[in-house]
Amino acid sequence: MKYLLSLALLVCSAASAADLKVYPYDGAKFVPGQRFDLRIEVENVQNFQGATVTLDGQPVAGLVQTTTKPTSVEWALRGQSLPTGLHELSVRYRDAAGEATKTARWYVVPAAAARAKNVILFIGDGLGWNTVNAARLVAHPYNPANGTATGQLAMMSGLSGMATVTTSSYDSALADSANTASSIATGQKIQVNALNVYPDNTADTLDNPRVETITAMLKRSMGKGVGIVSSAFGVDATPAAFASYTRRRGDYQAIADQYFKGDVQPDVLLIGGSRDFIPSTAPGSRRKDTTDWITDSQKQGYTFVSTRTELNAANTNKLFGLFNIDNVPSYLDRAQYKTGEALGDFGDMPYLWDSTKKAVETLEKNPNGFFLMVEAGMIDKYEHPLDWQRAVWDVLELDKTVEWAKEYAKTHPDTLILVTADHAHSLSVFGGYDATKGPGKREAVGVYESAGFPTYGDKRDANGLPLPETARTYAVGFAAVPDYCETYLGRRIFLDPAVSNGKSGAEAGFVPNPKICEEGAVTRTGNLPPTANQGVHTADPLPLFAFGPGSENFFGMMDQTDLFFSMARALGLDGTRSR
Amino acid sequence: MNRRTILKLVGTLPLTLWLPHALAQSAGTPTLKFSELYGRVTVRGVEYSDKIKALSGQTVRMSGYMAPPLKPKLDFFVLTKQPMSTCPFCTTAADWPADIVLVIMPRGRELDPTTRGLQITGRLDIGVKKDEDTGFVSLVRLYADGVTAGG
Repeated sequence: MKYLLSLALLVCSAASAADLKVYPYDGAKFVPGQRFDLRIEVENVQNFQGATVTLDGQPVAGLVQTTTKPTSVEWALRGQSLPTGLHELSVRYRDAAGEATKTARWYVVPAAAARAKNVILFIGDGLGWNTVNAARLVAHPYNPANGTATGQLAMMSGLSGMATVTTSSYDSALADSANTASSIATGQKIQVNALNVYPDNTADTLDNPRVETITAMLKRSMGKGVGIVSSAFGVDATPAAFASYTRRRGDYQAIADQYFKGDVQPDVLLIGGSRDFIPSTAPGSRRKDTTDWITDSQKQGYTFVSTRTELNAANTNKLFGLFNIDNVPSYLDRAQYKTGEALGDFGDMPYLWDSTKKAVETLEKNPNGFFLMVEAGMIDKYEHPLDWQRAVWDVLELDKTVEWAKEYAKTHPDTLILVTADHAHSLSVFGGYDATKGPGKREAVGVYESAGFPTYGDKRDANGLPLPETARTYAVGFAAVPDYCETYLGRRIFLDPAVSNGKSGAEAGFVPNPKICEEGAVTRTGNLPPTANQGVHTADPLPLFAFGPGSENFFGMMDQTDLFFSMARALGLDGTRSR
Repeated sequence: MNRRTILKLVGTLPLTLWLPHALAQSAGTPTLKFSELYGRVTVRGVEYSDKIKALSGQTVRMSGYMAPPLKPKLDFFVLTKQPMSTCPFCTTAADWPADIVLVIMPRGRELDPTTRGLQITGRLDIGVKKDEDTGFVSLVRLYADGVTAGG
């Protein structure tokens, strides 16, 4: 592109200083019929004289021109789509400073014959390879007699496809959950904090150019059912990426509304975070209006459930479940610790496998098939504050859910199951830890052969998962950290690793949480900026595990945007069709 | 003595940060714990506890920690049960817990930020209230009479 632009500058007698931007960006890829908004923006305009916009050599009709400020001019055309093939959009722009041109090339992939009727897409938020591995080591410790594995996670056994996935965002090598989930949902590179939209030059975060999601397309062109399940609060980035569009993932109220008024309107929505769905008059609401989606969703035909008991009893075609006012607490808090502090009055919350099972039972009533996204959303939420145990046990909860899905697929062999992640964290297992000598003793860390074999699984909970408290554990740490106190062990009551230093402005920063330091701990100097209060996402690659028809589309090294195209290929998605 | 000096002193002694009415700490002031703020919290919202409803309008004492401040001087701040890093005013995925209390200092009275545990005495006010300047919505407020370190 840079080469083209410099060529244009050379041939033009007077090159304009104007700055042209075209969305979709040069190099974007689409599925046939996938809808997108075309937007052209010019900044540094000096007496705008005219512009010609052509697509594949033909003038583009219907462009709506705006001037948001004296030095800019923009055009927009919403809801476009293209047939299979290579397409080229050219913009030739003229103003007092001369002429400028910009070209964007887009490729629309061919539609494929469907191999799968249903997809269950599991996204472990923050489920990098090392996090999966830590869960494997906890759930299936090695046989101390000979060092052989005693088992495998369900997500990594009996595979019919496997890939390593790389991530990046439109504007950064590092990614957040919003752009990564959007890449899976649309096949595009998206900006950090944005959901299924390209950048634009207006302040309104809800008017950005959109790209149609796989869920919207499957519903529109194939009449499939769509389900969204998450243990995080429901308007959080990953679930939101499958039903909403915004430049700012924090537009919680708008995202909540888009679930019921947008282009997806999932048939099943089982999430946490009711505070974005109850009217502002209810104490604890985060809304700014009096919309009550618990009541209004029922007018739209949804059955509403708020407990595990109600969920399991539900028999309906459209299901809306809110199981907590905030995030659904971690597996350890729900199944083992059960403290009032973590659970509050929410004594009957579903496990991820309950929600997944009911979502499938609801969606499979649709004869056209379904797409179900299940997010284990709390893995990331506990990796950020370096609580590796809460994170890893949520992986184990996810794995038990995958195990159920694999059983389902045995009797429903037209179902493709995918397990992957949105981004990684810097979690690593680097040794053993003698818990009887801890907490916080570096001498209790054993490396290489002195690590021995941990004793997880000597006791198990009601769901058959191991308890975190055992004599020999693993030494697990994070590479990207603030200053904090390391105890090597978990705790029943969650505590932030770092707290405010009490200063503001340039002096603001964070110090190790004194409550953790009091437990007996090694003070670890952070390697993140002093303004960081927790660990951060990494650029490490992610695993993808595939089971069932169409899984041959998931192989080798894949960019995250490829996941969209491979799912579309497996499902035979063709957005030019109407069902 | 400027406020910086005061803050330094607080670092070494369990000092009164601001306590015009020494009697406010007298034995008669009822104590309210974070665990006593709410009766039930359901997906439909938060219900106040019977205790907090009975104490509303009265002077109470609470212990907690100051949430990360955004300003060099505080005419109001968020009191939390545990010391925490989350900025209650930031719109990020990391959201503040439900059980927070907004502490409002008297007009013209400001505090320095501190990481120490605090004891607040003040008039208790409950109900949904939005601060027009910051957009911050609070459910429980203390109009402070006194703030002491420690506890």
